[in-house]
This record gives sequence, C-alpha cells and structure tokens, in this order.
Amino acid sequence: MNKLNLSAITVASALGAFCAMPASAAPVKIGLVETLSGPQASSGQAYRTAVRYVVDQINAAGGWNGEPVELLEYDNQGGPAGAADKLKAAAADGVQIVVQGASSAIGGQITEDIRKHNLRNPGKEMVYINMGAEALELTGEKCNFYHFRFAGNAQVRTKALVEGMKKAGALGGKVYSINQNYSWGQDMQQAIIDNQKAGGYTVVEKTLHDVNKIQDFSPYVAKIAASGADTVITGNWSNDLLLLMKASKAAGLKARYGTVYLDQPGNLANAGDLAEGNFVVHTFNAEAGGPDAEQFVQDYQAKTGHMPVFIEPQTVYGMKMVADALKRTQPANGALSVNALAQALETARIQTPMGEMSMRAADHQAQLPMVVSAVSHDARHKVDGTGMGFKPVLLLTAQQASTPAQASCKMKRPG
Amino acid sequence: MRKTLITCVAGAALLAALPFLLSQGLLNAAIQMLIAALFASAYNLLCGQAGMLSFGHAAYFGVGAFATVHAMNAVGGAGLLPTPLMPLAGALGGLVFGAIAGWFATQRSGTYFAMITLAIAELVHSLAPHLKGVFGGEAGISTMRMPTWGYDFGSTTQVYYLTLAWVLTAMALLYLYTRTPLGRLTLGLRENSHRLKFLGYNVHGLSTLVFAISAMFSGMAGGLQVLSNESANYVVFDPSLSAAAVLNTYIGGVQVFLGPAFGAALMTFFGYAISDLTRSWLLYQGILFVLVMMFLPTGLTGLIAITGRLRERHAPARLMPLFVLAAACAVLAGAGTVFTIELLQRLFSQEYRALMQAGAGGPWPAVALFDRSWQPGSPATWGVPLLLFGAAALLYWRCRQILNALADGEPAPSGPAPAQHSEESA
Amino acid sequence: MEQLLFSLMNGVIYGLLLFMVSAGLTLIFGMMGVLNFAHASFYMLGAYFAYTLQGVAGFWPAVIAAPLLVGLIGVAVERCFLRRVHRHGHAHELLLTFGLSFIIAESIKLFYGNYPVDYRVPAPLDFSAFSIGSTQYPFYRLLMGGIAIAMFIAIYLMLTRTRVGIVVRSAIHRPSMAEALGHNVPLVFMGVFGVGAALAGLAGAVAGAFYTTNPNMALELGVMVFVVVVVGGLGSLAGAMLASLLIGIITSLAVTVDASLADLFALFGAGEWARGIGGLMTLNLSSLAATLPFALMLLVLLVRPGGLLGENG
Repeated sequence: MNKLNLSAITVASALGAFCAMPASAAPVKIGLVETLSGPQASSGQAYRTAVRYVVDQINAAGGWNGEPVELLEYDNQGGPAGAADKLKAAAADGVQIVVQGASSAIGGQITEDIRKHNLRNPGKEMVYINMGAEALELTGEKCNFYHFRFAGNAQVRTKALVEGMKKAGALGGKVYSINQNYSWGQDMQQAIIDNQKAGGYTVVEKTLHDVNKIQDFSPYVAKIAASGADTVITGNWSNDLLLLMKASKAAGLKARYGTVYLDQPGNLANAGDLAEGNFVVHTFNAEAGGPDAEQFVQDYQAKTGHMPVFIEPQTVYGMKMVADALKRTQPANGALSVNALAQALETARIQTPMGEMSMRAADHQAQLPMVVSAVSHDARHKVDGTGMGFKPVLLLTAQQASTPAQASCKMKRPG
Repeated sequence: MRKTLITCVAGAALLAALPFLLSQGLLNAAIQMLIAALFASAYNLLCGQAGMLSFGHAAYFGVGAFATVHAMNAVGGAGLLPTPLMPLAGALGGLVFGAIAGWFATQRSGTYFAMITLAIAELVHSLAPHLKGVFGGEAGISTMRMPTWGYDFGSTTQVYYLTLAWVLTAMALLYLYTRTPLGRLTLGLRENSHRLKFLGYNVHGLSTLVFAISAMFSGMAGGLQVLSNESANYVVFDPSLSAAAVLNTYIGGVQVFLGPAFGAALMTFFGYAISDLTRSWLLYQGILFVLVMMFLPTGLTGLIAITGRLRERHAPARLMPLFVLAAACAVLAGAGTVFTIELLQRLFSQEYRALMQAGAGGPWPAVALFDRSWQPGSPATWGVPLLLFGAAALLYWRCRQILNALADGEPAPSGPAPAQHSEESA
Repeated sequence: MEQLLFSLMNGVIYGLLLFMVSAGLTLIFGMMGVLNFAHASFYMLGAYFAYTLQGVAGFWPAVIAAPLLVGLIGVAVERCFLRRVHRHGHAHELLLTFGLSFIIAESIKLFYGNYPVDYRVPAPLDFSAFSIGSTQYPFYRLLMGGIAIAMFIAIYLMLTRTRVGIVVRSAIHRPSMAEALGHNVPLVFMGVFGVGAALAGLAGAVAGAFYTTNPNMALELGVMVFVVVVVGGLGSLAGAMLASLLIGIITSLAVTVDASLADLFALFGAGEWARGIGGLMTLNLSSLAATLPFALMLLVLLVRPGGLLGENG
C-alpha cells in the first residue's frame, strides 16, 4: 500500500511540475452549443455556418494575441438537458465564449447555467453570446451580466413591422393576432397589443395555439374570417407559419400577413404565389444595404455556397461585434479574461451595411437596424429557387427600431 | 455467489475512482450514464420482471424531477430537505403519481395497459406547457444546489459522488427486492397472473404496488438529474424519452439484472460521444437498434450468456478464432456502413449541391472525408465500402461455418463445407 | 353559422385523412398484433416519393406510383425484418419498428435535407370548389376526402365480398386454423402489411401536397394515428373510420370554443372561485385542442378498452 502511495505521489508531482510550466498564450476557445441533429437541426446548422464564416475571418486577420481562435462545436441534441450536458463539457474543454441561437428554451437553460457556473468558478467565467433566442425574459427578469443578445426581440420586431406595414399602406384597422403558446408567442401577442396606438389599429381577437402540433389550421382561419380582420400579425415559424398561410389561401382569406419568420429557407418555395404581398421584418436585406451589402453577400456565397439568409446575417454581425470586442481586450497573463471581454462587449459598436449596430449596457440587448420587406417578384435577389424575393419597404436605424430596456432587468455587475 | 460479490465490489470501486481517471466533461457524461442506468433498472422492474410493457415511463421520471425542483426552491430557496437527501422528494413524487396512474393502468393488461400508460404520458406532455406555475414555461424551472453538511456541491466531482451513492443504494435495494417474496410474486405476475389470482392474491393491488415502486425509483432518477442539471423542463415528458428507456432496457437485455443498466449506460455514452462527431448519429443509433433486435434478441448481455454456453461445450482454443473473426467482421461491417453513410451525407448536403450548381457541366467536385479528398466519380471511392462489406460478408460466412462445425462436433473445415453436413443439425 | 359549417367540414376531411393513415395500422395490428411504430414513416415516404416522381412523371402518375413503392418497402420490411423477430415476442417487434422509424426519418433527412420540400398541389387542381359567405372551400380538400372514402369502400368490399377478403379475415381471427386449412398465412400477412403500408403511402402522397412535406411529418402525425386506432378498436376498420371522424371533428370544433372550465363553473355562480384557482380551470378549450384526443383515448381505454367498435377487452 505504501509503495502505491509513493509512486502515486511521484506521478502526481511530476504531472504537477509539468502543468506548472509557464503556459504559452492560451488560444481563445469559442464553443457553439447548438441543435445540430434532430427535428430542429436546420436552424442549428445555419448558425454553425455563419459562426464558422466569421471565425475564419478573425483567424485570417491574425486571431487573438497571436493565436488563432478555436471553434468547438457541441450538439445539444435539441433539448435543454442536452444543452446543460454539453455546456459542462465545453467548460471542461476550456471554452470561454459560448454561442447559441436556435431556441429560446435552450437559451434560458444556458443563461442560467452560465450564471451559476460563474458564481461557483470565479476566475474561470464563461460568457453567453445569444444569436437568436428572442424571448423577452432573457433581457428581462433573467438578465445577467454574462449574457449578450445580438438578435432582436418581440417588442423591437413588432414595432418595426407595424411601422413598415403602415408606411406601405398595408396595415388595416383590424388586426388579428395569432401566435404560438410559449414565451416567444406570448411576447409577440403582448407587443402587438402594445403597438395598437402607434399603428392606428385595434386587435380584434388574439389566439395562442400549441407549438408545432397543429396540422390543420383551417379552424383558425375560419376564426380569422369570422372576426373580420384585414391584417394578421404572427410570430409563427416553420410549419406553423407555412400551414397557417396555406390554410388561409385555401380558404381564400383576403387578409395581409405580417410575419417575423417568413424568410426561413423553404417557406417561399412551399408557399408559392400565396406569399406574394405579405410582409416580414428581419435584420438584413441585401437590396437595402447598398454596395457593402452586395459585397458581403458575394463573399458569403463564395465561402459557404449559399447566400446569407434568415438568421445568418445577424449572426455574422453579432460575431463581428464579438471580434471587435476581442480586439479591444488586452490579454491578462497570456489568457483572455472574460470579465474584460464582457466590459469591452458592453461598449461594442460596428458599422454594418444596414446601419450602425451597438450594444446597450443596461440590459445587454444589441441595438440593431431593422428592415421590413414585402414578398414580391420585383425583388433583386430571388429566394429558394422561386421567382420571388424580399423587396425592402422600410429600413429603420438602430435608434428608430429600439425599444426601452425592461424594468424587470436588475443586472448584477462584478466588482 | 462469491464471484459475483467480488465483481460487484470491484465495479463499485472502479466507479468510485472515476473522478481521478476522467476529465470533467467525461465525468459529467458518467453522471448522466448512472442516472440512465437507474431509470432503466427501475423500468425493468415493471417491464422485464412484472411483464408489463409501459410506454410512458418518462412521466414518472418527469414528475419526480419537478417534485425535486420545487422542493429545492421551497422555503425561499433553502430547500425542503438537505441537498444530499433531495432525491427522496423525487422518489415521493414518483411514488404518489405512480400509484395513481398504476391503479388505473393495471386494470387492463397487455397492449391495452401499454396504451393507457402512453395516453397518461401524452396527456401530461400536452398539459405541461399550459400549466406554467407547476412546470415553468419552455425554459423550465431553474434552481441551485445549496451547500449542506460542509460540502458546497459546486463541483462536478461532488455531484458525481452524490449520484453514485444514490444509484448504488437504489440498485442494491432493487436487487434485494428481487430476493423478497414480493419480488418473487412480481415474477409470478409476468408468468401467469391468472394463476396468482386463483392462489388468492389481489393481482390488481399487487400490480399497482409494483408499478408504484417502479415509478418511485424512476422519480428518484429524475430527482438526481435535477440535482445534476439544476433545472427541470417539460421536455422531459417527451415520448422519445420513454422510448429511449424501453430501447435501452432491451438493448441491454432483460434477462440479467444489470442488463438494462448496462444498455442505458452504453446508449447514453453513444449519444454523448457520437453526436459531436457526425450529423447522422441518429441514423447510426437506429441501425444499432435494429441490428440488436434482429441478431441479439436477448440483448448485449445475452452475448455473455451465449459465449458462456459455447465455452461450456467447446475448448477455448477452438473458440478463439471464432471470436476474433466475429469481432473483425463487426468492425469491418461497421467501417463500411460509416463510410457509405458519411459519403452519402456529404454528397446530398446543401453545401455540396451548391458546389455542384456552381461548377455545373464539369466533373463532380471532390468530397472531404476522414481528412482525405475523394472523387465521387472514381471507382476507388465506391470500391472502399464495397471492399469493406465484401470482407465482412466473407468473415461472416466463415464464422457461420465454424459455428456449424462446432455444432456438428467436427473440426472446422478449411474449405467450403461438403453438402451433406448442412443436412445434420446439432 | 358558416363558421360552424366550415369547422364541421374541415373536421370531417381531417378525420378522413387520419383514417387513410390509420386504416393500414389497424388492419396490421388486428392481424399480427404488431403495433407498427414505423407506419407514420410510410406516410412520410409516400409524400417524398410522390414529390420526387412528380418532377419526372407528373402529378397523377406520381400519386399512383408512390403508394406502390411504399407498399413494396412494406413487404420488404415484413419479410426481412419482422418475420425474424416474430418469435421473440411483441416487445421486440415493436422496438424493431421503432428503430426502423428512426432509420427512415434519418435517411430522408440525409437525402432530402432538413427543410420542407417544394411539393405543392398542381395548378389545375388548385381552385376553390364553392364558397359560403366570404370563405372559400378548396377543391383539393374535397378530393382528399373523396379518395379516403373511396379507399374505405374499396377495402370494405374487398374484405367482405371477395375470396381474398375472407381468407384475410379468417387469418385475422384464427390464423392457425386458416393455415391448417391450407392457406398461405405468411403470404397473407405479408400482403396485408404491404397493403397497409401502401395505404399510408397514398395518404402521404395526397396530403403532402396540401400540408407541408418535411422530415418531421411522421412525428407530427404519428401519435394521433395511435390514438385513432386505440379509440376505434384495434383491428376494426369501421372503428377506425368512426374514431378518425370523431377526433377530426372534436379537434376542429374545439378551436372555435374559447370557453374554459371556469366559465362552466360560472354557470353555477362559482366563476370567481374557479378563476382564483387558476391553472387547469382557466385554460381555454381552444388552446387545448391538441390535448383532447389524448383525454378521449384515456377515457375510452378505461371505460371500454376494446375501443368503440372493437371486441371487448
């Protein structure tokens, strides 16, 4: 037994001596904890493409502190439990920057887990870069110094959509609100009600339905027809949006749709001509951005094989803000101090083809420009192999699109 | 008996030493494997021992999880129980809900029983998103482990030891249960419940009790997961989790007590490790399920029984080539499958299709696979999987020959077996 | 009033679609005792095959050829996979079909990608049949309903009036006796499995154009089909029809009802008290529309486990 002890001590001290050698500059590790398989894999893979694009650019420009930035990918298998597991694996691998966007549920899990991890491991903090989880509570009651959101949220989106549709003369006086029954849909419903005065409409009826479970939307379309609404505003995505629109076309409903996710790949191809004339609010439209936007689109297409669509542009520009903050963060003992990075992120500001994008320190919600577009055959860039694309109707600067920080956010700052 | 006892103690010692052998990431995977093993063993109590195939067992896991998370958040965050005793809250939740559900479900048997459990689970799964107060929204309810008894439970190692202690205790209890008269009666439920009724036992009450005990340990497993992840989310009621429990149990093998635990640990590790390596890991998992169901109906632990039987009748010297060939065959077939699927996945992916459109008219662009570049048009690319499959088929045929020869009691032939041998059977 | 009428019609058509998919499942279960988890995957395969063939051959040839292909796959599944596992018991067959459903879903994602594909109703069929008030009713929906009814009549006549039907029905009820009388019962099993799969494939080919065709189709429809089969009675074709219509109409009508349990209590003057409790009491029936079938399934299983028209369990 003693011999075992002695040899164990020898091995341990040798290892310890080895580890105590001065470390060379530790490369920054970015961990993408995304839904890369399972039913919602399509969005997760889009985030991965966009993040990889920017990380390659960062490394082409010299990386950070002389070392290339490493991108590690973790598949959260589509659920918060998988995300919690992979987050722990990422922490064990030395990841300091966690990027995710495909689901608000997973976003909620990650932000809480990172908060607890940082409480328990001072000096080894991680920061959560949120590229697409748009639930309001993430910058509201769950707001946290180590969470930064580079996507919109329900309030920002609805405000822009209403303004855009009003400018195009497509917003009627009677609006029907139909949304999915979870935090995002409920946030959208509240935002639609809040914008009544600004938009000059009344919400004739509001409905919440189960998420991704309904195949037959015709009863809902019948309700919309019975309410006499001339406009429908919805935050639905993927199947829920497509089936809703198909059902309304089948019933010959004459209402105009204002959506948030009509630009998801596959939607226009599936919807066909019935999508024409409907509106979407998104963060990027190449036609509204001038030559800079065109150049970005060409470069993205050359490197990844397809045009940046849906959540890819906002992810690219969010990562560019992170790159900007990294450039302004000095190494501490050869490694990245996440606290310093977070402070640099709070003051990050970059120029994008859509306008200036900056971070609001009060609740860590990025201030982004918003574009409202209508589906039309006249658009310059055709989408999904159809003859239609998104023609910009209104471009709002970050200031114009901004909505105030929520009172429920009481951010605790370190030190 | 002594041999099994020594193996068990050695196994427990190895598990206790894991934090010194594994990285923190793998240690966390080990926690998930332990929890899955407990859940599968609890499920096996109902399915393998009592013969009642239940489709909605994740409901009890989930109810235990939410009971635990509410207990942890109670009393202003201090928790209703000391942190190490929290799984008891989960066990209680599982027990109560299991008793209620079991009373209804065990009124029927066979497929109808399975359908009732499915209906209960689906009902809870549909209602959960609507009952925000109990189940939280889609972000779930989050909590934090409170320091107790001098430990702060902040590191993965401490959580691992807590989980290990609970899982070992629960497995020991489950094993001792099989040794009690009640455990024997459970087997009787599977074999012939009609006869039990005639012997005077209250079969409905008995079934409900077994159901409740199984649900209790499932709830305990749910509570352990909440302790580890510090949150509970209603996706835990998803039917895929119930299905995973059934699959893990049968892949491990229901004949052996530790079979389901082994199957669950293996499949959890498989999901954990392979999901980061390839996009098509669900396809591999499906293929693995189908192959095990078709060729190893008694599960992977059934392999032990098969090899045991072979060793009883034949000398190890004659069996070694068989084992080596069988392992080589499996490896080659696996490599061929992986190569084909990865190649097809890259050929049909969006990026490749865009590349093809960009280079329309010319030869198909090369595909990057396993750090090398392969031309889709060249026969060498398709020759590799064909070669692998061919070699695997050859080895399989040779293995069958050896097995037949062993069964016939003659030395294995070196060439193709003569026709008359195929007529005789062992 | 027109809303009620439309809801009823939509419910009936959705129910008929459910029937198309569950008819095969209930026959397969009645005959072999196998709960085929891969059945909804056959539905998805039918839609994808029709989409692929539509580009090559046109809509109607695709709709006819796709079910045949799916039927062949069903026959292969029964012959190569299920038959091997049959002697190990029902649990193994079930798990095998479950594994197969994984494989089919992942293979489709492999070949067709994760996003929905562009399978649409062809322009000649894309018009409205009639309109009541301001809402139109699409002709394609009526076509789907018509195909389902035609299918039901065809199967029913085949089972009751033809010789093959008699053999199939006897194999369902007394397989050993039918075999003893010299009929090739394994061949009958294979045929029924194949036909069941083909029916699901036809449903997919027809409905995939109207609803979306995406890799999650099987998951979306899968559980509902089980509910239909259980509520109708395992093995009963008429029961499947009744149950699908019932579930279709209930789901459709529930969406129009915005009342909750608290409103029911308000009728007795206890509304405030009920609303104070919150939780289950204040849930609108319209948001619970997708939960009702499961409640119905539980009720039927507890009260009449054989299903509405099945044998008494």
